[in-house]
Amino acid sequence: MTLFLEPRTVAEAVACFRDHPEARCMSGGATLVAMMNAGLADPPAVVSLRRIAELVGIAPAADGWTKIGGMTPHRVTAAETRLAGGQAIVRLAAGRIANPPVRNMGTIGGSISFSDPAADYPAALVAADAEIEVVGSGGGRRIAAQDFFVDWYTTALEPGEIVVAVHLPPAPRAAAAYEKLVKTEGDMGIATVAAVVEMDRGACSDLRVAVGACGPHPVRLRESESDLIGGRLDADAVARLASRLAEALDPVDDVRASSDYRRKVVPRMVARAIATARARAEGEQ
Amino acid sequence: MSPYKNQVGQSIPKVDVREKVTGRAAYIADLSRPGMLHGAVLQSPYAHARIKGYDTSKALAVPGVRCVLTGADFTEHFMGAFIKDEGPIAIGKVRYVGEPVAVVAADDERTARRAARLIEVEYEELPAVLTPEEALAPGAPLVHEDLASYVKVFDAKFEGNAFSCTDLSEGDVDKAFAECDVVVEGTYETQAQYHLSLEPCGALAEVDANGRVHLWSANQSVFRVQANVCESLGLPMSKLHSMTPKVGAGFGNKMEAHIQPLVVALALKVQRPVKMILSREEDFEMVRARHPFKIRIRTGARKDGTLLAREVETLLDGGAYADDSPGVLGYSLLMARGPYTIPNTRCFGRVVYTNKMRFGAFRGFGNGQVAFAGEQQIDEIAHRLGIDPLEMRLRNAMRIEEPWFGGQQVNSNGLAECLEKVREKSGWGRRARPSRPGVKVGYGVAACAHISGLLATSAIVRMLEDGSFVLSTGATDIGQGSDTVLTQICADALKVTVDNVVCATPDTDGSPYNWGTTASRVTYTTGRAVAGAAEDVGRQIKEAAAKMLNCPVGDVELRDGGFIGVKGSNTTLPYAAVAGFTHWASGGPIVGSKSLIYDAPTIDPRRAVAIGLPFTRIGVFSFNALVVEVEIDEVTGKATVARAWSAVDVGKAINPRLVEGQIEGGIVQGLGFALTEEMVWDGGRLANPTLMDYKAPGAVDVPYEINSIIVEHPEPDGPFGAKGVGEISLVSVPAAVANAIFDAAGVRLHKLPMTPERVLTAMLGAD
Repeated sequence: MTLFLEPRTVAEAVACFRDHPEARCMSGGATLVAMMNAGLADPPAVVSLRRIAELVGIAPAADGWTKIGGMTPHRVTAAETRLAGGQAIVRLAAGRIANPPVRNMGTIGGSISFSDPAADYPAALVAADAEIEVVGSGGGRRIAAQDFFVDWYTTALEPGEIVVAVHLPPAPRAAAAYEKLVKTEGDMGIATVAAVVEMDRGACSDLRVAVGACGPHPVRLRESESDLIGGRLDADAVARLASRLAEALDPVDDVRASSDYRRKVVPRMVARAIATARARAEGEQ
Repeated sequence: MSPYKNQVGQSIPKVDVREKVTGRAAYIADLSRPGMLHGAVLQSPYAHARIKGYDTSKALAVPGVRCVLTGADFTEHFMGAFIKDEGPIAIGKVRYVGEPVAVVAADDERTARRAARLIEVEYEELPAVLTPEEALAPGAPLVHEDLASYVKVFDAKFEGNAFSCTDLSEGDVDKAFAECDVVVEGTYETQAQYHLSLEPCGALAEVDANGRVHLWSANQSVFRVQANVCESLGLPMSKLHSMTPKVGAGFGNKMEAHIQPLVVALALKVQRPVKMILSREEDFEMVRARHPFKIRIRTGARKDGTLLAREVETLLDGGAYADDSPGVLGYSLLMARGPYTIPNTRCFGRVVYTNKMRFGAFRGFGNGQVAFAGEQQIDEIAHRLGIDPLEMRLRNAMRIEEPWFGGQQVNSNGLAECLEKVREKSGWGRRARPSRPGVKVGYGVAACAHISGLLATSAIVRMLEDGSFVLSTGATDIGQGSDTVLTQICADALKVTVDNVVCATPDTDGSPYNWGTTASRVTYTTGRAVAGAAEDVGRQIKEAAAKMLNCPVGDVELRDGGFIGVKGSNTTLPYAAVAGFTHWASGGPIVGSKSLIYDAPTIDPRRAVAIGLPFTRIGVFSFNALVVEVEIDEVTGKATVARAWSAVDVGKAINPRLVEGQIEGGIVQGLGFALTEEMVWDGGRLANPTLMDYKAPGAVDVPYEINSIIVEHPEPDGPFGAKGVGEISLVSVPAAVANAIFDAAGVRLHKLPMTPERVLTAMLGAD
């Protein structure tokens, strides 16, 4: 039998994991319950975060950062218009997750803790320069998104740590575009591209591009991005970044597509994502 | 009282709509019996292996386990629609990964599944053949060593692993190709597609005190279930009572046996009711799927566009058991000419055993695969000659008086009207939505014919004491609405409304024989039997009324609303009065019946040569033309069908809304076949037996406009002129989409599904 625990506060949740080190954490349950039903997980205890009210909701802070509570469902994130400018990348990605039932059940904390590289948030959070706030028995800490997604289904979370919030830095003058290539709508991406672009009188003043679903974790090349800052994002420059990104991928052959195709299609998706984000950024100026 | 209207031609709501909308309809998984046990199956981990022994002791030791059966508990009895090569369970050796090797009955499903995993089987692995090419190689291991001795229901041509080889030809192909101004040639490949009934297969069996077995199962024919269970277990048919709950769709997967024999075997062994419902993964791995085809095809024409010759060679992966494969092979060759006048056609095909799950019947029955190849070649020739592809099809469309390939007379042919209708409704040639930055738009057309017919059927109509009627046919309504359509036919023939007729649930004890809900046949074939039985009842009603009215039977007639009238007078008798008279005074209760078998020959030996064709009398012809508007994302190569126009000649739409439902459903399933669905094997193991990894189109993926256009060229002997619509709209889809992709991007795809990867690769190669 599985022990089912429902703490009311983060502190209680942390205590649950101290008492039951083998327990699995459940947020929305969209993935964990499916795995338990399929016999792929059989934890002795499940700690549900569902009754922890402080983990739900999206709140802008005075300094322009936005905090998304770990138990905020995808549906809420996808509809949050205050996620604007560069922060909109997270809203756009949330809107492409699976289907309405999953967007109602699933939460940002649960999704990123599972760390499926083909999921929608990892690339979006890396492009957003998000920070992941986690709490464990040793207290709290913030982890840069780029460092959070470590490997296939592996994060920087220590045992007993839970995601309490995702923090997005301000990027009010930037704009975002999210490209997701799927076999059928709602499926895991064959490849995803999250782009954030800020333009200043025709010159690129900020550029962040992350590629998902093409290896163990999102790929972002800050140095190559910086080559484009100050330039006009001409086609050649974008193509150079796009092809470097493609070279940095570690895609697999799977039932969705071949690794060759992923390398071939990603630069094309990157170019379109940058063009779309740029058009949005310039349209908003 | 509102005036009576003819019941045929009305979009009457389905007769079982209330129980389905309210969730009261009971499917196999909803059924339960007192003291019922639950079954689970152990599947083979090997593609090909000899079974050396079993150890069931650990499974039997699990509390709640009541029975374990392995291949050692079965004697060799074989079933098979064409070649009797299949037992209820693996005996002696396993032939594919996922094949049932043992079954368990336990108090609950969880215990049964856990116990099944504890059964130990000792295997000696054998070399496997995983593709038809491997299976045909010299010295290849044989999947069935005893093929030669198996019972076959037709004159099968076989050799090695090739268990059925068929030739079909007409005219002088070599001479005709020499006269062609343009010849196109190519090879095409199609994939395995999963039926994806929302309801996985399942069955429930119970043995009564007299030793008789009562069986409910997800099925397309209670009679095929009865035949397969009895053949594979060696039971007399009188010992098995096969029934049906509501069925959550069947596309060919539930026509022949799935796990019914195993569930019956368990129930007989434990003498308690046993239910087994397959998981989605098991349903993927052990039921059946659409045949992968390899097709080499050549088509030639004169420079005025007149088609002269076609040559087709197909190679089918049959999987581990013959199942419906010989039929699919033969039918695909019969359809490979397409609905055109091509006087010289030669087709040859083989279907080969491999160590994969069996491939069998699936909506389209081989027609969609050959149409994908043949209909692209019609387009290629049109483009070479500068002829509009739709015009090319109209010029070569079979004329109304022409026979089908092989020589069968065609008695109704609405092909030209279908082509004209889709041309008009789609605005063909006007390019309503041009390509735009990032998106290439193209239009494609394809045409086809498909049969409805095959084999035996019967109907009984009984008049009840109050003048209403019970209709029994034995045809399982698999959700498409055949109970409604048959009720409409019966009611209309008796001039009463549908609420005066009840359609009985199929049941081998109570229903007359029906081969099955398959081959697009229920409306046409069973409908004919229903109309005949209703006519028989009408005749008896008139005879009884004439006796009551003391007048010659020739003076009375059936009148709208359920009355007998005397010709030329206002004198009427309600049916209730006639029913009372026959039940209580004279003549006895009225029972009408009609039995028939489809009997028009497929082959005219004066025109055609057929060798190894497994059927001789196939059915009547429906026709279809389809136009699709495709958008291709230039960045990714992803092709999407935005709009579709499908015209189908159905003879007569008994229920237009249900006809439209069939057209739409076929298009959506055809789009999955064309664009996204593909069963992938990793060695001998199916790599994507889940809906997570096997992607069928969902609501967001289907076209925002599917225009269903009903064309009615009545079939002379069809009920009210009707012919079938169950499969035909799927057949043209891959070809029409491929032709639209060519129109948009200038590339020809020869392999299904046409994934973003294949389209982009072709586009980049063409640049």
